[in-house]
Amino acid sequence: MMPKRGDDRLIAYLDGEVETTERREIEAWLDADPTARERLAALAESANLVRLAFDEVLREPVPERLIVAARGEKTSREPSGKIVLFKARQGAGQAAASRRWWTGLPVAASLFGLLAGGSVAYFSVIKFAPGDLVGKPPAVQQADADNLWLDNAAGYFKLLASAGDGGLIDVPATGDPREALQKISQSLPQQVRLPDLKPWGLNFRGARLVVAEGRPAAQLVYTTENKAIGPLTLIIGSSKEHDIPPTLARRQDVNLLYWRHQGRAFVLVGQTDIGYLWGIANDVAWQLDAV
Amino acid sequence: MRLVSGDDPVSGSFTDQMIAVLPRLRRFARGLAGSAVEADDLVQAACERALARQHQFQEGTRFDSWMFRIVQTIWIDQIRSREVRKEDGEIAEERLGSDESVRRVEARLALDEVRRAVGRLPPDQRTALLLVTVDGLSYKEAAEVAGVPVGTIMSRLSRARIALQLQLEAGGGMRRSTNDAEAG
Repeated sequence: MMPKRGDDRLIAYLDGEVETTERREIEAWLDADPTARERLAALAESANLVRLAFDEVLREPVPERLIVAARGEKTSREPSGKIVLFKARQGAGQAAASRRWWTGLPVAASLFGLLAGGSVAYFSVIKFAPGDLVGKPPAVQQADADNLWLDNAAGYFKLLASAGDGGLIDVPATGDPREALQKISQSLPQQVRLPDLKPWGLNFRGARLVVAEGRPAAQLVYTTENKAIGPLTLIIGSSKEHDIPPTLARRQDVNLLYWRHQGRAFVLVGQTDIGYLWGIANDVAWQLDAV
Repeated sequence: MRLVSGDDPVSGSFTDQMIAVLPRLRRFARGLAGSAVEADDLVQAACERALARQHQFQEGTRFDSWMFRIVQTIWIDQIRSREVRKEDGEIAEERLGSDESVRRVEARLALDEVRRAVGRLPPDQRTALLLVTVDGLSYKEAAEVAGVPVGTIMSRLSRARIALQLQLEAGGGMRRSTNDAEAG
């Protein structure tokens, strides 16, 4: 068996915690000693198993009681089923609540009709979206823009849900789902990657071209037979706004979880509970390197 | 990558950051406490303590590390409390397997053997393993969370990895778990 000091060095080497000189020494040792190589492989394998054993927790929905506790509100043993608004966003949230989110539906419907023709149509319609923001202070404009974005995201979702199975999907995921992504990406400023949500029982059905934050974006559509979760949509677009952490919002019976990261905007939309949304968003962010 | 950015610990509101780090806190707590229910109780207590001590969080430091430290502190307090109760003649609850229904389900999974092996590690070694190997913290970051020198983290981690290796080899868990992982 390898001396303990040998294990210490191999573990630090695996963890990337050795300096260049020591790394070279260890690599020379590994080149010369097959037993050390076997030991390194075994240590790497056991480390991988430990990660596998606990990573599944990340896929679980976060219990609502924890989200409520994190907000500093009174916790309940019974799931309330109510969405929890962030305190820091209550001002914007209340403003949004006073609006009827479904006023965005005609906007969404119009956009769908116009965007079906492609990105040329997009540039002809986006100007009206932030038009009512002119003359307002920047912070108010930003809050209004956020509300409009989320109103539209909820509207897109409701349109899709009301259209039924397969309705309103511009590019259905027939055969290789990557083809649908490639097609929709042709109309977008950047390539869109497809998160695999099969572990959640969610199947990718196709994509639509929509508008998020005044720019063309992809709406990825997922469905599931699990009524506790689906259907869900994930909108991925580009953004010039600053990064924001994942934030919850609600438009009537639609829950939204949105965030921005390095020039990309994301909003996960569905009628599932916020615990599932958090878990799925975490999975999406991990897969897309989006936080 | 996770739903929290350690590089930008003061972005967003305090509660936003806490909610964003919840999945990782739950994973860390699950590794420490063993059962899902106990782990979530631990995370809930950590959230409540963090909010009560919000003023103690130093801007410019990593929020996730601060939360990990709170979880770890509460867990150690709980262990000590249990030890006292045990000395008083009460039977300490077995951490792993206290949630019997979950245990029965998980017993069918080969990876449960890995979780059990982790659960048998001494608390300080378990903490080092979860912070570095599972959550990917550097030795320096893990040392800050645990409140010990980097050398101590290295030592604990090394002992944990070697002990784990021996347990898994003895139980045949490595081969079975690897096969299961590949099959999945």
